[in-house]
Amino acid sequence: MQLFVNIVVLASIYALIACGYVLIYRVSRVLNLAHGELMMLGAYAVLATASLFSGHPVMALVAAVVLSLVVGVLVYVFLMRKMTGEMVLAAILTTVALGILIRGIVVLVWSAQQQYPAQALGLPNPSLVLPGGGHISMWSAVLVGTNVFVYTALLGFLRFGRWGMRMRAAGQNPLLAAQRGINLHGVYALAWSLSTLTGALAGILMALDSGLTATMPVIGLKAFPAALVGGLDSLVGALVGALIVAAAEVLLIYYVDPLLSDVVPFLVLVAMLIVRPWGLFGTREELDRV
Amino acid sequence: MTGTLLQVEKIEVVYKRVITAVQGVTLAVPERQIVALLGTNGAGKTTTLRAISGFLGIDDARVTEGRIAFQGEAVENRPPHEIAGRGVVLVPEREKVFPNLTVAENLIAPVPRAASKAEQRRQEEIVFHFFPRLAELRARIGGLLSGGERQMLAIAAALMCRPQLLLIDELSLGLAPVVVGDLARRLIAIRDELGIAILLVEQSAATALEIADYAYVMENGRVVLDGDRARLKGHQDVQEFYLGQSGGTGGERRSYRDVKQYRRSRRWYG
Ligand SMILES: Nc1ncnc2c1ncn2[C@@H]1O[C@H](COP(=O)(O)OP(=O)(O)OP(=O)(O)O)[C@@H](O)[C@H]1O
Ligand SMILES: [Mg+2]
Repeated sequence: MQLFVNIVVLASIYALIACGYVLIYRVSRVLNLAHGELMMLGAYAVLATASLFSGHPVMALVAAVVLSLVVGVLVYVFLMRKMTGEMVLAAILTTVALGILIRGIVVLVWSAQQQYPAQALGLPNPSLVLPGGGHISMWSAVLVGTNVFVYTALLGFLRFGRWGMRMRAAGQNPLLAAQRGINLHGVYALAWSLSTLTGALAGILMALDSGLTATMPVIGLKAFPAALVGGLDSLVGALVGALIVAAAEVLLIYYVDPLLSDVVPFLVLVAMLIVRPWGLFGTREELDRV
Repeated sequence: MTGTLLQVEKIEVVYKRVITAVQGVTLAVPERQIVALLGTNGAGKTTTLRAISGFLGIDDARVTEGRIAFQGEAVENRPPHEIAGRGVVLVPEREKVFPNLTVAENLIAPVPRAASKAEQRRQEEIVFHFFPRLAELRARIGGLLSGGERQMLAIAAALMCRPQLLLIDELSLGLAPVVVGDLARRLIAIRDELGIAILLVEQSAATALEIADYAYVMENGRVVLDGDRARLKGHQDVQEFYLGQSGGTGGERRSYRDVKQYRRSRRWYG
């Protein structure tokens, strides 16, 4: 039972992070390799807002989330906007540089020491006992719930929303989308803000659960195989990919060796690339565009 | 006489900074008229339409000289979504529908100028009035449509943007003559009922001269001939053009231009 709970929690973490990769890749074919760093920035933002709104933890959390959304838009407007319609490789390299920059800033401002945003906010993290006998920490439970909500909302939005439809259209054929009057900058900025928003949610909830250090981007990187296993342009794929990677990781840690933790996602990825290079749900022809 | 909706004046379009595809093209589209742009392969027809509807950065193309005015306002080198927002909408030569969107989604995804849901519905009704077949295909995925259905959907989706000027690249490409005749009749109905002007690129001069009020013939990036329907139908060069042969003077012009282009590119490489 505990194994199952662990798998669900880890899968939720990976899925919540992976959807950020998928959103941006899907509309612009750009891999955002700064996603883990942006996620971490969201978590550190809680430390800042916690001192700003001391005594109002909810306000502080909301402010941090809104801040991350703004950061996403700013990153697009100031860094990625110039890249629109340019070489995808240049855009990807820009995200690598951005990631390094953010890591540097975080260490400069908050030092490399472990921080506890939950304490800063004065929020507890009790362990809940589940009906089947397993345990789950409160913030992990919140994370699982958030993940369900985020995926439901995103899938509904992409399927039925006007802008969701535009995001799908721009992902398929940006030129035609522009010729039909869709503002590509609007679509891309929306994708970036949604991506950093969901990433920050993951970062914040993880930090509330188990503290925060500047090594958090590693988790962002570990979630990347989940997105890739699912095919990188499919939200459902990311969800399934996250489940596969998390299950493999939890089971191998339990039955083989805890030290495998950081390696497993990439083992799954390599196995996947050998069998189905275009991912579980990705389309074959997407591959040559990576 | 009615006013001029679109005025293209002596434009030069350069790809990748060195390839001049269109040179000194001048043409006008009056309100409520259908104007055809004819020419052999590689003459620069698509480039001219793309220049009007706007390039993306990835095209690496620019209007380097001349002016494009829509309703008197300069619109050259503006982004495509802005041009579409002004009421100039292109039906491109290839990849004209979103393959993974349904017909209904293809129609409602853009709609840049529709303010309300009601307005959008009214526009949809208008579109289905011209293309009733699309109403039956609403739930079909765009990529599964036949060539003719795809062309209908492309024109319909462009109409959803409520254009004042429709740019259509290769109306008849890959379509059966019956379908082309049918589409041509609908274009005339669209012009008559909605008052939309149309600039039409066509391979088949016969089809184009059937429905166009005025036509331009392009060759090697220049307009070599223009006139109203009656004049062009009787013109001897057009007879040659039907057969895909250009006269002796055309050959000379080509070689002269090649020399010029060579000098131009040397400037960039040198
Ligand atoms: N993206 C591009 N980069 C470089 N050159 C281009 C590009 N697109 C077109 N050209 C060149 O510009 C010239 C005109 O091409 P264009 O597509 O406008 O012709 P067209 O009249 O539409 O031909 P067709 O009837 O075959 O569609 C051609 O010589 C072509 O090689
Ligand atoms: Mg063409």
